[in-house]
Amino acid sequence: MALESSEPSEPNESNESTDPTEPSDPIETTQQRTDNPLLQTENLVKRFGQFTATDRIDLTIERGEFRSVIGPNGAGKTTLFNLITGALPVTEGAIYFDGADITTLSPSARVRRGIGRSFQISNVFGGLTVRENVRLAIQSVARDEYTAVESLFKPTDRYDELNDRTEAILDRIGLAHVAAEQANALAYGDKRRLEIGVVLATDPELVLFDEPTAGMSVEETRETIDLLEAVLVDQTLLLIEHDIELVMELSDRITVLNGGQILAEGTPAEIAANQDVQNAYLGGMTE
Amino acid sequence: MASELLQLLVDGLTIGVVYVLLAAGLSVIFGVMNVINFAHGELFALGAYFALALIAPFGGSAFFVALFVAPLLVGIIGVGIERFTVRPLYGRNPLYHILLTFGLVLVINDLIYLIWEPGSVTLPLPEMLSGSIAVLDVTASVYNLFIIVLGALMAIAVWAMFEFTKYGLIVRAGAQDRQMVRNLGIDIDRYYSLVFGMGAALAAFAGIILGGYQTVNPTMGMSVIIPAFVIVVLGGLGSFRGAVVGGLFVGLVQTALRMYAPIFEGTGIFLLMIGVLLVRPHGLFGTDAAEEHTGDLLSGPRGGFLDSQTRTRLGLAMVGLLALVPLGAGTLYSTYAVTLVIEIIIWGLFALSLDFVMGYTGLVSLGHALFYGLGAYTVALGLSHVSQSAFVVIGLAIVLSAVIAWGIGFLSIRVSGVYFAMITLGFAELFYNMLGQLDITGGSDGLFGLSTYYGLAGIGVELDEIAVFLGPVAITGQSLFYYIALSALVASFLLTRRMLNSPFGAVLKSIRENEQRATFIGYETTVYKRRAFVVSGALAGLAGGLFTLNAGYATPSLVDWLNSGEVIVMVILGGMGTLYGPIIGSGIFFGLEELLTGFTDRWRLVLGTIFVLFVILLPGGLVSLPSRLAPALPGTPGRGPNSEPEPKPESNPDPEPATDVDDAHTRGDD
Repeated sequence: MALESSEPSEPNESNESTDPTEPSDPIETTQQRTDNPLLQTENLVKRFGQFTATDRIDLTIERGEFRSVIGPNGAGKTTLFNLITGALPVTEGAIYFDGADITTLSPSARVRRGIGRSFQISNVFGGLTVRENVRLAIQSVARDEYTAVESLFKPTDRYDELNDRTEAILDRIGLAHVAAEQANALAYGDKRRLEIGVVLATDPELVLFDEPTAGMSVEETRETIDLLEAVLVDQTLLLIEHDIELVMELSDRITVLNGGQILAEGTPAEIAANQDVQNAYLGGMTE
Repeated sequence: MASELLQLLVDGLTIGVVYVLLAAGLSVIFGVMNVINFAHGELFALGAYFALALIAPFGGSAFFVALFVAPLLVGIIGVGIERFTVRPLYGRNPLYHILLTFGLVLVINDLIYLIWEPGSVTLPLPEMLSGSIAVLDVTASVYNLFIIVLGALMAIAVWAMFEFTKYGLIVRAGAQDRQMVRNLGIDIDRYYSLVFGMGAALAAFAGIILGGYQTVNPTMGMSVIIPAFVIVVLGGLGSFRGAVVGGLFVGLVQTALRMYAPIFEGTGIFLLMIGVLLVRPHGLFGTDAAEEHTGDLLSGPRGGFLDSQTRTRLGLAMVGLLALVPLGAGTLYSTYAVTLVIEIIIWGLFALSLDFVMGYTGLVSLGHALFYGLGAYTVALGLSHVSQSAFVVIGLAIVLSAVIAWGIGFLSIRVSGVYFAMITLGFAELFYNMLGQLDITGGSDGLFGLSTYYGLAGIGVELDEIAVFLGPVAITGQSLFYYIALSALVASFLLTRRMLNSPFGAVLKSIRENEQRATFIGYETTVYKRRAFVVSGALAGLAGGLFTLNAGYATPSLVDWLNSGEVIVMVILGGMGTLYGPIIGSGIFFGLEELLTGFTDRWRLVLGTIFVLFVILLPGGLVSLPSRLAPALPGTPGRGPNSEPEPKPESNPDPEPATDVDDAHTRGDD
């Protein structure tokens, strides 16, 4: 469980030391390359008929990194997410997570390996209670701890350990007081908390966010980001976001996609200074 | 040889063209409005009957007039059907259209019985079409050639209209994105009515030409609708090209099978359909995009109107009451009452089994009668070949049904939504036709004259021999069977309820709520759905087995698709996703039938009407009625704003949610 883990997830300082448990000085500036990245894609290609949505993408995400993916509409951001989470099969190339080839794994198998995906706010189990929402995610990760007969016939409220973990998550996302409410009945902001709590409950190492602040006011955006940073502090984050200011402020590194290819990659400062990016993307945004 | 092939070609194309006309309407209606129209076969029959009525006063020469006027009339009826029954359902899951149009099938079919005579009638043809032409040893009747040419012209005309007219352009655009079309200021709803009306007119046209070729009878709609669906599914839902290719192909294949391999005549096209769907889950010409998930299935009240203690008490009281029924038989009321309640119990169990998959995982099995029949035949065959012990054969029925359910689930659960409904229907029809053809199952007569005892290893009792009199109360074999059936129902209910409270059940509920999210918190949803399907199949097998134990026979009619439809009716009537609702639904269904048959033979007309009203006005079923009548009582738990959506169309102005989560799967990019 991530929440019980005391291990710092900051990236390691040097290339020699790749043991994540070894304490190291966190670096505030540019991330260093390591030999043990959390996620790596190699020559990733996705074609829809004649159209190439993802064109030979080599992406490397380090442990503990906050990476944002930006790019104009149709750049292939969502397709990239769908390939990483397994929602779409790849045409060519490979995806490695934590050193293992996950290219052909099903979406659910990837979740169990530690890739969590957050959707837009309404994407919770609306007809179930808040507690049930979180418990389903906890139960998914813990399912090997119980026998088949137990999981078929033992009522959920008698799994003490699962329920304890559920309550812990509920406390952490601040929804313990509404645990018995139906998810549909939650207020706007609480629904988002729940959505993030459900992702957190699957104990992910990497969390993918597809425009978590789409259609929100400045204030709501701020609240959401604060929540992400507070709750997912131990996780590696991969974010698609349109709000450039936000991206510049939050990200360790930024990947710019255009026409299915990586146009540029680097620290926010590097990206801001990149002339290609200016031309292809940022220039168009400051109309 | 060559002449034989030519003969086959002429005969095959004749049927094929009829199929094309029928399937084209069905497919276009689906492609444009996402509506699966089961009533299409009845509109087809209605066309033939209207023609009959139009021709009768004037003789054969009025045929050509009827060929124009009858489709027009049926087209108007089609517009009415769209306007008043289908339209309120836009924005709901397309499966509700299946349910609605199934209700319409009952209504229209009974209306036909009510207005016209039940037997077969010949449609008078004009002189000029009655001869035959002989070319190279092939004698083709003029009428056959007339059908082929006219049908082909009609198909081309429809295609051209969609391709080249402004009307066709708007309809095609609406199929792509109806909100966009609305934004352009076009009243797309008006076009939907026209599409539906046109589909109905095409069906009527097909009905008339087939009526002239064969005969006109009230079951003609029922007999073409299933092949027509096979064609549409085969070709790809929504694909006009698929309907044309599929229609001609199936017409030819059916004719060829009849000539060369009659044993496959019934089963061939279903094997074909299942085979195609396994390789190409969206049919030959279908695309992923044709399948949209719009709207949720509306199950009964979640959380419940009454608190759990009250409900437990109510349940116990119901069971207690039911347990008293046999005691009054023969004195307070006739023993027929016991027979009736046994039927309700067995079908209640059957409906409960369907609810377990339909209400909790959203898998609508349109072929659930397969498992019912499988249980019945397993018991029948087991009694004749394995053991006469009721317990042994019932055990066999449960196990075999579970195994077959696993197999069918393995093959079909990867296709979803409407395609799943169709593939299960295909399996059931396959089984139905096999039963009628195999010797071991007794052919179309079925198996009968079975005897059994209740016990194990030869020790037990035969129920027929039991008759104990305690004062006015007679304990007979029938009343003992009643208790066995009641125990089976109660045990199944408790078992499934227990399962739903387990982690397994929690996953099933999560799949119903949001399958994509369930996948992305790490559940292999197809595995869970398959397990639910196995449980459901086993329970349906138990229900069918109980039927045969009691009735002493099994016939292919148990697997008739109408039975699959009726069990869905019971689930919806009572309330889907509640487990007890479907049992109540069974009671209402048979209660109504009992009541109505006292007044009229056409009870399905009334029942169908009630069902249509239910689907439109009370999709949550009867058990959702109390909570609808007493809205938002303080302290009523679990009443979320979305658990009871208004069925009115106004509340759902956008049937295609703009941020549908499935976009990620189907479109792939932002």
